[in-house]
Amino acid sequence: MLEIRWHSRAGQGAVTGAKGLADVVSTTGKEVQAFAFYGSAKRGAAMTAYNRVDDKPIMNHEKFMSPDYVFVIDPALVYTTDVTINDKESTVYIITTHMSTDELVASQPKLAGKKVFTVDCIKIAQETIGRAIPNTPMLGAFMKISKMYDIEFFKENMKRILGKLPQKIIDANMLAIQRAYDEVK
Amino acid sequence: MANKGWDEFEIGAMLRSFNGPVSDVALTHQEDRDYSENNSFTASVADWRIEKPVFNKDYCIDCQFCWIYCPDISIISRDKKMVGVDMDHCKGCGICVEVCPTNPKSLLMYSEQTDEEEALAAWPSKETGEK
Amino acid sequence: MAFDKMELRDIEVWDGNFAAAQALRQCQIDVVAAYPITPSTPIVEGYAKFLADGYVEGEFVMVESEHAAMSGCIGAAAAGGRVATATSSQGLALMSETLYQASGMRLPIVLNLVNRALAAPLNVNGDHSDMYMVRDSGWIQFDAYNPQEAYDLNFIAFKVAEDHDVRLPAIVNQDGFMTSHTAQGVKTLTDDAAYNFVGEFKPMNDMLDLDHPVTHGVQTEEDWHFEHKARQHRDLMVTVMPKIQAAFDEFEKLSGRKYNIVEEYDMDDADVAVVCMGTSVETAREVATEMRAQGIKAGVVGIRVLRPFPFMEIAEALKDVKAIAALDRSSPNGAAGMLFNEIAGALFNTDTKALLSGYVYGLGGRDLTKAHLRDLYKELQANADAGKVTTQLQQFIGVRGPKLAFL
Repeated sequence: MLEIRWHSRAGQGAVTGAKGLADVVSTTGKEVQAFAFYGSAKRGAAMTAYNRVDDKPIMNHEKFMSPDYVFVIDPALVYTTDVTINDKESTVYIITTHMSTDELVASQPKLAGKKVFTVDCIKIAQETIGRAIPNTPMLGAFMKISKMYDIEFFKENMKRILGKLPQKIIDANMLAIQRAYDEVK
Repeated sequence: MANKGWDEFEIGAMLRSFNGPVSDVALTHQEDRDYSENNSFTASVADWRIEKPVFNKDYCIDCQFCWIYCPDISIISRDKKMVGVDMDHCKGCGICVEVCPTNPKSLLMYSEQTDEEEALAAWPSKETGEK
Repeated sequence: MAFDKMELRDIEVWDGNFAAAQALRQCQIDVVAAYPITPSTPIVEGYAKFLADGYVEGEFVMVESEHAAMSGCIGAAAAGGRVATATSSQGLALMSETLYQASGMRLPIVLNLVNRALAAPLNVNGDHSDMYMVRDSGWIQFDAYNPQEAYDLNFIAFKVAEDHDVRLPAIVNQDGFMTSHTAQGVKTLTDDAAYNFVGEFKPMNDMLDLDHPVTHGVQTEEDWHFEHKARQHRDLMVTVMPKIQAAFDEFEKLSGRKYNIVEEYDMDDADVAVVCMGTSVETAREVATEMRAQGIKAGVVGIRVLRPFPFMEIAEALKDVKAIAALDRSSPNGAAGMLFNEIAGALFNTDTKALLSGYVYGLGGRDLTKAHLRDLYKELQANADAGKVTTQLQQFIGVRGPKLAFL
């Protein structure tokens, strides 16, 4: 069982990202689950989304999760929410920030000693898609860190999932995924 | 209607107006329709009356007011001509008399036991303007 | 059929809402009258989009309240169409009067009920308060534990509800958010296979049959009302279960997916059993397997059909168990809990020596964790070992503050 927790703001696309990832993973024959915690949340409110991936049917519906990966797609959430809650020694963090990994860990001591990778998904999204929608670049970074799938295979699948969007937006997303894949450190 | 048991009626608190299929029901006179026992046409309310309307053809101008106003569809009219009163479904409310515009009225209320011939023979004459 | 078909992949990643919306499309619903409410909104939204995009031939009726939504469904069903809608929580509460009209008029409407807590305090998350509220409304009630089942049970619901020997409306329950907004793999049916399973809608006493005029919604007083209600109850008690079983069997032939009126998991030799509904059934199954590895013979009984209540089937499933936990995801507000009462009633006149304890959990979407369930199974094992219920009969799981237990 692979478990992922997304930290995001409502409207940044964490749910879409989690469902998109689940969709891609499902095509490879694995069982998937993607869900989120909702309140009567307004755009901008901190929220979490989740993925589970397994080889056998996923029967666990508890919301509690001790994640293998934590994705933080908004840079401020590292300071305003506890992104390390319920983690384990092996938990891997991929965090959106303009800082280097060392600078980030120095600014948030809770991350000290943890496996932290950084990538500026916000900047990448702004420069490619034209809006601060950091969900697809985060998945590009995840492909690099997890080595889950070949990036070309992943992009092909994402093209299908984004199928209803205008071609220009799809192309921009592909660029964003590739850049995050290349830039995550 | 007989008080049937739970297993003796169709489901759904649903009632049929007719026995079997009907066609062209709008152009079929009531007396020619095959109403089912569930339809109120098959139930008489004649015994509810204390007074009954008597129709006097001589003064009727076929204005159809009584036909329109009758709450029980008990005025029989054919080709826009007043024929009479359906005494099975008339409850004797007197609305037809109230709305009748002729002078003297073409419909008047009499006690249930009044003989119709006698009532017609003694029909009031035209009222003058004096009150 | 004058509409486009949709090519689906064998496995689509859908949440429960979208799975239900797809099922409504594949059933080719004639009329959806709806007043959307969280978390059920995407179901009717989905139908409306399929309609606008030319994938369904039907009618979406926008109304001013849930009361009007169900009223519109009743009118459309009495007129002679295949009708569905969706709601949750307060929406269902406002619909409740018309639910009784629908069942009493024997109209085979399918309602997707995405289970959500009832205010106050206001809460959009999943619990079974709404499901429990209308359990005596004369509707058949199915319960889905995941998106796949929310999809499948819609087809089964139409098949059963529209059967001329049944003619009763049916609710398909799914857990708000935990199913409705959780995307999982859903094995799909092709449009043709799905539609052929449900079949062409066969009207009965429809108002648009102008050659056979009928009066719907009649008044009956003391002289007739009881006979109508007795007939409806009798049909639920006698006719419906075999029809559900037949639909389950036929669906298994079509899809390979097997549904049971009572879903037993590892119950053959179970000493301790948890009885519950919704997503909790699956989480409990996972924990039961863990407990077996620790030497506790744990099983799970899931309620698949809440109405008609599987009285005999429940007694049969639980007869050899030593300790049972009945899990109610709804505040009984001054009683022992619906499942506790129903199970107690089912077992009372049998030879069972099973110990029964009740638990209230998960209100307003509060998480039921695997840790909770591990503790619960251990408590049941302690009861079984002691030969008596070692706790009070009703306990609360997962609520903050001093421990709450009653009876």
